[in-house]
Amino acid sequence: MDPKKFKCSSCGLTADYNHFGQTPLKTAKKNIVLLEKAYTMRNPFKSNDGEFLVVGAHCSICGDVVCVDPDCSLFYSKRFCLNCASNNINEFPLPIQKEILHNCKSR
Amino acid sequence: MDSFNWERHRTTLNKIFFRDKDFIKEGTKEYDDFWLFFKKFQVYEARRKSKESHSASSSNLSSSLDIPMQYHPRYRINISIVTKDIDEKVHSHRHHKEKKKRKRKHQSYDDDFGCEDDELSSERISQFRSVILHYLDFCQKQDFVKLKKLKTEQANLPIAHYKDEIVKAIKENKVAIVAGDTGCGKSTQVPQYLIEAGFTHVACTQPRRIAAISLSKRVAYETLNQYGSEVAYQIRFEGTKTKATRILFLTEGLLLRQIQQDHTLKQYNVIILDEVHERHLQSDFLLGLLKILSSSSHRDDLRLVLMSATINLELFSEYFQGSPVIQVPGRLYPIQVQYLPIPVEEQTGKTSRLDPRPYVRILQRIDKKYPSSERGDLLVFLPGMQEITTVEGASQAYAEETGRWIILPLHSTLSIEEQDKVFDMAPEGVRKCILSTNIAETSVTVDGVRFVADSGRVKEMSYDAQYKMKKLQEFWISRASSEQRKGRAGRTGPGVCYRLYSEDDYDALADYSTPEIQRVPLDSLILQMKSMGISDVRSFSFIEPPPEGAMNDALRVLTEHGAIDSDENITALGEMLAQLPVDVAIGKMLIMGSLFDFIEPVMSVASVLSVQSPYTRSAYNNPEACTRRRPIESDHGDPITLLNLFDEWIQMKSDSRSSSRKWCKRRCLEEQRFYEMANVKRQFQDLLKDNALLAAIDDKDIPETSYKRRQRHADKKRLRELKNEERFQSRKRKVLKRTDGKYEIDNSDDDNDNADDHPSTSITSNVKDLEFKIRHDLDKLYKASSVRRNFTLRDIIMLKIILVSGLYPQLAFPDDCNNYSPDSDQIFHTKNKLFVVLHPNGYFSHHPQELEPTGREDNSLKKEGQSGHRGLLGHRHQLLTYVSLLETTKPYLVNTMRVPALQTLLLFAQSLDTNADCRRIVADGWIEINLVDPNAAQSIIASMLQLRNAWDQLLKLRLEATKNESHEGFTLVRKSKKLQHFLSKKLAEFLDSRLEYRLRRFTTLERQKLYVGPGVNDDDVVEGGFGISMTKAAPDAVKGGMKLADYLTYNCLQELEESSLSGDYLRQFWTCPVCQIKMPMTVGERLRHQAACGGSNAEETNQETAADSKTSTSIPQLQRSYHCDVCDEDFMFSAVEILKHKRTHKA
Ligand SMILES: [Zn+2]
Ligand SMILES: [Zn+2]
Repeated sequence: MDPKKFKCSSCGLTADYNHFGQTPLKTAKKNIVLLEKAYTMRNPFKSNDGEFLVVGAHCSICGDVVCVDPDCSLFYSKRFCLNCASNNINEFPLPIQKEILHNCKSR
Repeated sequence: MDSFNWERHRTTLNKIFFRDKDFIKEGTKEYDDFWLFFKKFQVYEARRKSKESHSASSSNLSSSLDIPMQYHPRYRINISIVTKDIDEKVHSHRHHKEKKKRKRKHQSYDDDFGCEDDELSSERISQFRSVILHYLDFCQKQDFVKLKKLKTEQANLPIAHYKDEIVKAIKENKVAIVAGDTGCGKSTQVPQYLIEAGFTHVACTQPRRIAAISLSKRVAYETLNQYGSEVAYQIRFEGTKTKATRILFLTEGLLLRQIQQDHTLKQYNVIILDEVHERHLQSDFLLGLLKILSSSSHRDDLRLVLMSATINLELFSEYFQGSPVIQVPGRLYPIQVQYLPIPVEEQTGKTSRLDPRPYVRILQRIDKKYPSSERGDLLVFLPGMQEITTVEGASQAYAEETGRWIILPLHSTLSIEEQDKVFDMAPEGVRKCILSTNIAETSVTVDGVRFVADSGRVKEMSYDAQYKMKKLQEFWISRASSEQRKGRAGRTGPGVCYRLYSEDDYDALADYSTPEIQRVPLDSLILQMKSMGISDVRSFSFIEPPPEGAMNDALRVLTEHGAIDSDENITALGEMLAQLPVDVAIGKMLIMGSLFDFIEPVMSVASVLSVQSPYTRSAYNNPEACTRRRPIESDHGDPITLLNLFDEWIQMKSDSRSSSRKWCKRRCLEEQRFYEMANVKRQFQDLLKDNALLAAIDDKDIPETSYKRRQRHADKKRLRELKNEERFQSRKRKVLKRTDGKYEIDNSDDDNDNADDHPSTSITSNVKDLEFKIRHDLDKLYKASSVRRNFTLRDIIMLKIILVSGLYPQLAFPDDCNNYSPDSDQIFHTKNKLFVVLHPNGYFSHHPQELEPTGREDNSLKKEGQSGHRGLLGHRHQLLTYVSLLETTKPYLVNTMRVPALQTLLLFAQSLDTNADCRRIVADGWIEINLVDPNAAQSIIASMLQLRNAWDQLLKLRLEATKNESHEGFTLVRKSKKLQHFLSKKLAEFLDSRLEYRLRRFTTLERQKLYVGPGVNDDDVVEGGFGISMTKAAPDAVKGGMKLADYLTYNCLQELEESSLSGDYLRQFWTCPVCQIKMPMTVGERLRHQAACGGSNAEETNQETAADSKTSTSIPQLQRSYHCDVCDEDFMFSAVEILKHKRTHKA
């Protein structure tokens, strides 16, 4: 489990991730799957070895690596970086549109 | 989610969703958290649904992004639970239910399972599953926020901007200095930077053990534990270091020990010395050593990083000339300073107690000025514990009246649980007022402090070399520490610092505090230097050299103890002592204990004396606890009482039916101290074994039973789990709660024997218990404890003699006017320090009657009215040995033990002087022994000479044997066994002596005219003639008389009355009780003959050793070389010895 470097293209956050894919971690409980290919690490805040933490994924439009911080990306059945989301804001349902606007402002 | 009653289906849901292999397990903390979340979520969902119906459904346009335009929160979650096995579960559950139902209908029971609506339908199941998903998503978000916060904090630390500069400086220079103030992040970040930059073995020293542990935890956390054991700590007894460790936080003392093992410290490629500005003794020494190492060619690759606060930087940069200095600004919020000098009428005089009023006024001032809605606690710096208690009382009253304050004391003698309270939170609208010693200046950091009140004073231990006395004295603090105290107010936001002194006072403060090297005894430091091969300790390049006088004092103490010789070269004993990380006195005890194979109890005593006292603060005013402790106390004094306590605790530990924790609590003892004692003892054991002073106990010969092995493995596993739990629990702060007018932690466990209910304390105490069991073999400890030892009185006396052999000359003489009643102070005198009293917490201050002199008045002598014959005649005079002298309000004797006067003085005095007939013996120039019968007096001196000779030889043999493991070593061991046997037997006789004598202490004036002076009474040097063995003798060039041994000068005392004729010129016929030789001899000659002749049992041994070691003091003068044909060996024998030797072959 050699850690690899994850870096968010939006906020610059770096972290050592342990796994990339739709399953969270090799050691994680088997009945969990992710709905996107994501970067996960062993959850450093939990004592249990099997627990994971999703740190980020690729934007489904531009492919950039983004972290899961609401200032950097959002997930609505797919991952969107905040840039692509705001560029395509009208393609989202209303509650998400509101959220995109809000997050862009706070950035 | 309507009014459906989920709770009713918990059991079923548990079977479906919360099995062992599932993400959330039934019965865990997460499981409980989930149900809390579940309830909140239901409320939230209800609200959302009602809103949704208002706003109707949004547009139905399709999206080019291929996402559902009909909004639903579930699309926002990127986690899913694999449903296949859940479906199966649900199905089987349904099936099961149906069957039951049918059955029930048959039996026509009332259907208490409710109607169809209450069924756990598949729709309900999927509803429930979606809540689990929301919960998982919620947890992910929460933890990601933590991660982000951590990373942002790291990036925002002032030091982050200097990262590249620091790494570059360290890469390009052998020594670099990083200076930064509180909060700049140097201690946590620099080691991480270095690892990232490719360094692989980074050691970072800390002055305090706690800091080493907490930093390793913090850095491991910041590196997200991704490195596993790559961030570790190591302190005196424990550590988490593994082969994979890359960053090691360790104490300064430990690094010093490592240098002792390996001068070049090959195991590290970077050494960071943190907090060097604090100028501890060991850190100053490390600076010197590492300066030498880094400039030597042995370690060109080694990098040295000094980290300090920004004070006194010039000193360090001058010491390491040419090294780059990187200065990092601290991160403190602005702090407003207010000078509030204490009015004259409230100032504390030299003797009076501190007036608490100015401190209470600070509380009032804060209440007036700042609304209670604005949070922020107060930290008050007071000189010492006593002042804390005074202010605590006064401010407690104010706190109760207003209900706006929680008063919490903080000092090092509090129990760990009590100390931890300062980290808990005050409820809304209430502030904490922490009354602290200078422990909160650097060692303990409390968050949330907004106000600081500084008394400007500190109580510090200083050392008086003349009396070898520690003094707890009050001083003004330095400007540096005044600033440090102020800084504590600005860690989390802008703050206020109230100085209870004037600005002029502030300006008059010294720049920096006195470094430790200027104010502590240097014995151990110098011994360590000597053992490292630094022969010229005076010219060692310290950053600031210690005072010359202190060095000389230390060298003198070391010479007295035999650790260095008269040329200041380290002796074999000294080498051994340097290996033991304790005071010279305690180290000597250990070595002497091993001489007599009496090491077990001696190690225990040395351990109990090396850790803080186990008594809690309430130990002496809790009558119940006192009663419970009484049976364990020993009338011999504190060291033996402590030994008994320790043994008893081990017994509690090894009995699975009793709780040692409870046992301690009921006796007002701090259990932590006993764990420490066990650890220290274990360390002594290892050290003595390493140095061959303790036979390796054949652990390996006794195979571990498989049960025991399994048990041990299970214990280890459980320990790992508990430690993990502890790690995540310890971060939670509790809220303090008001009970009985005092604030306590919610679910506090004080005065409650079932304290194990408290989760966090129980985990911590369980961790300790398990660690203890894994580290120590309880069976073995138990077998070694006194319960199984079956001490006889003689054993105890032997133990005491060994303890005194280390503690001597720490002796106190009782004052003639003592009344030996517990209501008043009993006064004692040491050789140099008059009028010291028993420490109020010691055994004898509660039982002074044990020290009351016994004996009879001798009327015949009284009539003569001679001052020298004052006092009682008896054989049971006692003196007190003590472990330390401590001056606080008075000078106190700490940890005292009563010892037989005559025997102690004769065996251990550095100098013994006699008159002509030996009835007067003066020990170390301050205590006089007056014996009645001259013959008895001479014979006890003769046995003393034999004993001390034998003791010296045994020590030499043993120390030699530790160096020789080969065949030669074996013969040495055999010899020393014989010697040991002789010595034990002789010693027992000696200790049993019932000689009657009087004892008195000289006045200073009397001490000045003790001796006859050089050239008097010294013409008795018999150069031979009689053909009998005698020890060497030479005139004493200072006192007069004759020096019969290093420590014995015969006939050098001024006679008090002219009446008795100096007996030494009279040769009288005398028969040696040992060899039966009869000859006219003077008293001096008799003594010398007896010293050489030895006891009948010792004869063989004495001859062997005398022949072997040419330097031995017992080589008789009248020996000549003699070749024995039978054993084909050359000997140095006297005429008598030759005869005797021949006789052995006949038999
Ligand atoms: Zn980001
Ligand atoms: Zn994008």
